[in-house]
Amino acid sequence: MDAAQFLTIFISAVFLYNVILSRFLGLCSFVAISKETKPALAMSLSVMFVTTMSSIITWLIYRFLLIPFGLTYLRTISFILVIATFVQFVEMVIRKISPPMYRFFGIYLPLITVNCAVLGVAVLNSDMFFIQGKAVPGSFVYSIFQGVCVGLGYTLAMLLMSGIRERLDLCHVPKAVKDFPLAFIIASIMSLSFLGFNGFRF
Amino acid sequence: MEVSRGVKNKLIVSASPHLHKDESVSKIMWMVVLSLMPAGVAAVFIFGMPTLWVIILGVISAVIAEGIIQIFTKRKLTVFDGSAILTGLLLAYNLPPHVPFWLPIIGSFFAIAIGKQVFGGLGQNIFNPALVGRVFLMASWPNYMTAFTKPLNYDAITSATPLAIIKEGKILESVSYLDLFLGKRGGCIGEVCILALLLGAIFLLLKGYISWHIPIPYIFTVGLFAYIFGHQGLFKGDWIFHILSGGLILGAFFMATDYVTSPLTRKGQIIFGIGCGLITAIIRLWGGYPEGVSYAILMMNAATPIIDRYTKNRIYGTK
Amino acid sequence: MKKFIHEFLRGIIKENPTFVLVLGLCPTLAVSVSVINGIGMGIAASFVLLGSNIIISLIKKIVPGRIRIPCYIVVIATFVTITEMAMKAYSPPLNRALGIYVPLIVVNCIVLGRAEAYASKATVMNSLFDGLGMGVGFTLALILISAIREFLGAGKLLGFTLFKGFEPVFVLGMPSGALLVIGLLLGFFNVLKNRKV
Repeated sequence: MDAAQFLTIFISAVFLYNVILSRFLGLCSFVAISKETKPALAMSLSVMFVTTMSSIITWLIYRFLLIPFGLTYLRTISFILVIATFVQFVEMVIRKISPPMYRFFGIYLPLITVNCAVLGVAVLNSDMFFIQGKAVPGSFVYSIFQGVCVGLGYTLAMLLMSGIRERLDLCHVPKAVKDFPLAFIIASIMSLSFLGFNGFRF
Repeated sequence: MEVSRGVKNKLIVSASPHLHKDESVSKIMWMVVLSLMPAGVAAVFIFGMPTLWVIILGVISAVIAEGIIQIFTKRKLTVFDGSAILTGLLLAYNLPPHVPFWLPIIGSFFAIAIGKQVFGGLGQNIFNPALVGRVFLMASWPNYMTAFTKPLNYDAITSATPLAIIKEGKILESVSYLDLFLGKRGGCIGEVCILALLLGAIFLLLKGYISWHIPIPYIFTVGLFAYIFGHQGLFKGDWIFHILSGGLILGAFFMATDYVTSPLTRKGQIIFGIGCGLITAIIRLWGGYPEGVSYAILMMNAATPIIDRYTKNRIYGTK
Repeated sequence: MKKFIHEFLRGIIKENPTFVLVLGLCPTLAVSVSVINGIGMGIAASFVLLGSNIIISLIKKIVPGRIRIPCYIVVIATFVTITEMAMKAYSPPLNRALGIYVPLIVVNCIVLGRAEAYASKATVMNSLFDGLGMGVGFTLALILISAIREFLGAGKLLGFTLFKGFEPVFVLGMPSGALLVIGLLLGFFNVLKNRKV
């Protein structure tokens, strides 16, 4: 476990291989919810919470259930079930504890289940931090950290995009590119600019 | 009154700075074009006639691109307001001197079409169009975009830029600060002759067309980081070298200051400048590319709406 | 029969999942680097879509409303796992090329979206043709996008180099280029749509 690895995970997850702008995970919600900043931030924080927690749970399941019993081919099903259950659970808890908060999050919570970013980071963790069925040293901590960073990367992209789209909302953009096409073009330029972090070495 | 940025039925009123006074948008564009002339002249002198062609092609392509798009979409022709010319000029200035002729053409077209017109035209673009074009070219034809040539040698002999050399960890020899200042080095057309650039920059500053709030923090941040973290251990970095190298002066004074794509308020501008400096320094010191100015400015362009949101001037009389 | 054909065609043009419904973008952009990959993903996703639409339509009466989403996901995940294993067995290179996007078919908005919006409410036959139509529409969209990206971005098509001396637009092979292509295509189709009105 060394600092350089953490820094690399951070730079990769947030900037270089930004979950939305480079890996394309979470695009559906990105394009749909990034129109305004408040919902964008709400969604981002929820996503970050879920990616972090599911990183923990899926790691444990992978390490102590799937590998020992040779069931790694069930990775996809088990991961997504875990995520769906967890999100459902979170939804119930929030509903009990704070109905206004539950109303605030609205449909975003169930949407997170199908957010590719969540399943994506779980799969990424098991690909990156397990070699031939054995966990690399520090695997657990790296996985959690990556979960957090992926959430941060998601938040960054959402925040920037919502700011831009809010500003463009006040302008007359050409009718043909209004909303979705322009959002993609903006994302494309953002993705281009993030290329600047290529080859990062600390 | 601040120039409204294409905001429909909304005029953004701010107390000060009143950068543009009564000047029209068009005049500002032309003034910036004028202030960039010395750098272009210097470049042709340093790298030879092909440089002039790159500049001409860049400018003409930008104008034609804007004309075609505006005619096609039945919008008002604004090709003579100077902004397309400025974009084409800046795009050309961001290219190596001996690129194939189609590079500035495609670059300018892309800069105008995707960097500007798709957003609805001047005042509504989020990103600096010239930089959008440059980054597109860089990602598409990296081989051509990094083929630099020796200065004052009209035979187009390849040579690496000073930043590229130190990125590889090699020691720089035979390039003095004076060389860097006058432009006796490999690099992009508009970035090499600091003297010429500063002439133009001082002109713009004195006339009030740009303010110091972006370029000075930008340059200062880069210098500071270079000083602290420059390669030879802590607090021993060659900050003079870093300030004079690469596209920093060109970027800080002529591209980061583009009023459409940078924050409205003084505080926001300083934040913008520092942010650009931070990212530029990080890429130069630890990233894979030798130069990071274009990427830094584009990233901060993306952050400008958010910066504006959180640094909006308070209207007098309210809490 | 005519009604079924109508269902089928709807998924291809009028409600094309990629260009009209703007769903399932994650794999579309990532995988459309080459036409072969595009076709591979299209077929894989179509299989899953078809299978899950049918099954979900069959069991729609028995599934309790509260937990229907997790149930659908189990069904979909099963088909995805079958696809994954088949791909690993019969075409390892394709499996490697598609990478994590094969398991990610589980959360492909198209599949779950159709399940929730359609198959859970329609008859089995309708769901079957809807699944087929959407699958074909998705695959066609993938082919279009990857053809552009492969041709302009790498100067090839289906792996064959086409012109000599053509300087490919490298960026199209990258995520940024993908976003650009899809943005421009969406804009283009909007222009066509506005013209028709």
